[in-house]
Amino acid sequence: MTATPPCGSHLSYAEGAALALDADWVVVGSGAGGAAAAITLARAGHSVVVVEAGPWRDPEDYPHTMYGTMRDMFLNWGSLVATGDSIIPVVQARLVGGTPVINSAIVVRTPGDVLAQWRDEHGLGAVFHEESIGRAQDAIEAELQVQPTDRGVMGPTATFMLDALQRFGMEAHPTDRNVANCKGAMQCLQGCRNRSKQTANVLWLRELIARGGTVLSCAPVDRVRLVAGSAEGVDGRFEHPVTKTRGAAFGVRARRGVIVAASATGSAPLLQASGYRHPWLGRGWRGHPGAGVVGVYDRPMDMHVGPSQAAASLHLRATGGVKLEHLSLPLELFAARISGAGRDLMRRLEEYRHCAMWVSAVRCDAEGSIRRTWWGGTALHYVPSRRDLARVREGTKTIMRMHFAMGARKVYPGVVGMPTEFTPDMVDQIDRAPLDNRCWTWVLSHLFGGCVLGADPARSVVAPDLAVRGVKRLHVVDASALPTTLGVNPQHTIMAVAIVTARRLAGA
Amino acid sequence: MWVEPIARALAATFPSTERLPGLDQIDPRPGVRRLLAEAPLAVRYALYGGALLYHCGPVITLGVPVLAGWLGTERRDRHAARLATHPIYLVRQAMLLLKSIGGLIWGADPAVRAVLGMPAYPPDPGTFREGPLPEPPRTPTATPAPASWVQPGAAP
Repeated sequence: MTATPPCGSHLSYAEGAALALDADWVVVGSGAGGAAAAITLARAGHSVVVVEAGPWRDPEDYPHTMYGTMRDMFLNWGSLVATGDSIIPVVQARLVGGTPVINSAIVVRTPGDVLAQWRDEHGLGAVFHEESIGRAQDAIEAELQVQPTDRGVMGPTATFMLDALQRFGMEAHPTDRNVANCKGAMQCLQGCRNRSKQTANVLWLRELIARGGTVLSCAPVDRVRLVAGSAEGVDGRFEHPVTKTRGAAFGVRARRGVIVAASATGSAPLLQASGYRHPWLGRGWRGHPGAGVVGVYDRPMDMHVGPSQAAASLHLRATGGVKLEHLSLPLELFAARISGAGRDLMRRLEEYRHCAMWVSAVRCDAEGSIRRTWWGGTALHYVPSRRDLARVREGTKTIMRMHFAMGARKVYPGVVGMPTEFTPDMVDQIDRAPLDNRCWTWVLSHLFGGCVLGADPARSVVAPDLAVRGVKRLHVVDASALPTTLGVNPQHTIMAVAIVTARRLAGA
Repeated sequence: MWVEPIARALAATFPSTERLPGLDQIDPRPGVRRLLAEAPLAVRYALYGGALLYHCGPVITLGVPVLAGWLGTERRDRHAARLATHPIYLVRQAMLLLKSIGGLIWGADPAVRAVLGMPAYPPDPGTFREGPLPEPPRTPTATPAPASWVQPGAAP
């Protein structure tokens, strides 16, 4: 180790001499959990180095096309999948700011029933309760300018969904989002080039640097340095985001501790690669798979305008385990989502401007696993249960009825073994849709577990204070630690858990 | 070696209609070449597998032991449609991959977007931040009251 950079800097891909840094805290990952923990520690006067595997892209660098998005923003071009009895694509980003850069910016408070479950079943009531989480979420909402989506920027796909929900007497709301001055440009999934989305790369990490912190980008961590049962720092090697060339080695020594926030697909494999062992490491991996239903209308619905997700309902969450959401997709993704191939597919695509897609996201019971493969990749095993499938089938039926109530002339539920196109008189046929994962088109976008926290040392990798069991000075503060699914979008909960934990560490 | 078979498979998946140009009119080869140069190994191998299945698949979709390229337009279209709804899951998944890749190329094409009344995409920058931040960093005081929730020593 020969080079030591100044404080308060951003360091990207480099070749040549190895780099050595030290700081009070090293944070691995810059997404919702990592960035929230890092800025909390920095504001408390601690020196912090954030180490992020992906590159730093400013809004000017964001791509326009989905091809560019998959290449530049997604982890491995979106090729990560969960396997079991089916193959489910997993959506994760790999860049400074993490997945919030490419999500729909939806902010939902941690539901009370989730906190009660954490208290009663996982022994977390003393740390994560309505007051501690609520106080952190108040602050996050103020700082990230969280507000309900203005109906004026919504496209018809969202306003129609709100109207449909109200017509059915169901709870309906515009999504709360960490977005300021949204222009409805339908760029949420490609990263918001208008700088409206308040993500860590445009906000917290800039402040971190202003406070003397350091951000390493293009810097995948190979291992956490574990010495005599204590985390002493991290080691890795820069990787060029285009050529994938491995560059200079880097090492960051942590004076106070290491915080792992490499996501639900990264943290458990990193601990495994570092030589950490626990019977529950990699277990308890969960998600919210979602399945969309497309309605085709006579009037234009214009999925290409407005925010990607502007309307939602929690009406079925408590009883059916399903959250209903509007989801607009760019034409490139929509083409893959619609059933068929050849001329049939193209005739359906001719009506893209007249299509609206609404999704049921399921709070699954299923538990899967994650592990590091022998070649350094990530293997995910996940099989939604029959009960989960029954829930999504019920959610699908509800959405079909909503589409028809709003005047859709046909819907595409996208279930193999069922007709491709449904007309209003066919809705009840969906009750016979097979409860077989291979027949449904799922996407997994909300991920949890792998380093699950809890009070029982035998069944949890991290303790209620988010300290990794059996290792001093090592914490996990991301979705991988959450012990349950939430039934709502997780970004807000991840940030709040990270902030509560970092505040305690800052005062320790 | 793989560009032509992949391009033909994509063209059959997204053929032209009376109204919409497909990948038989829009040349997908530049897009395929670019993808094969840029995509990770797993995506490339999956694409090779999908193309292979498309070309050798008429025996499982139409019951005829010929390559897809030898089929007439109508039968080729039926072949692609049956692959997409085939009872064997992995066959459907291979077709889904072809649709996903083809969709990225087709859906971004200016001619397609013009027909659908949508603006063409500007070129992707493909850039990332290599150096320090250019603009003066925000002053810490500009942050709305962080001290109220970051108190050293405060209980959670």
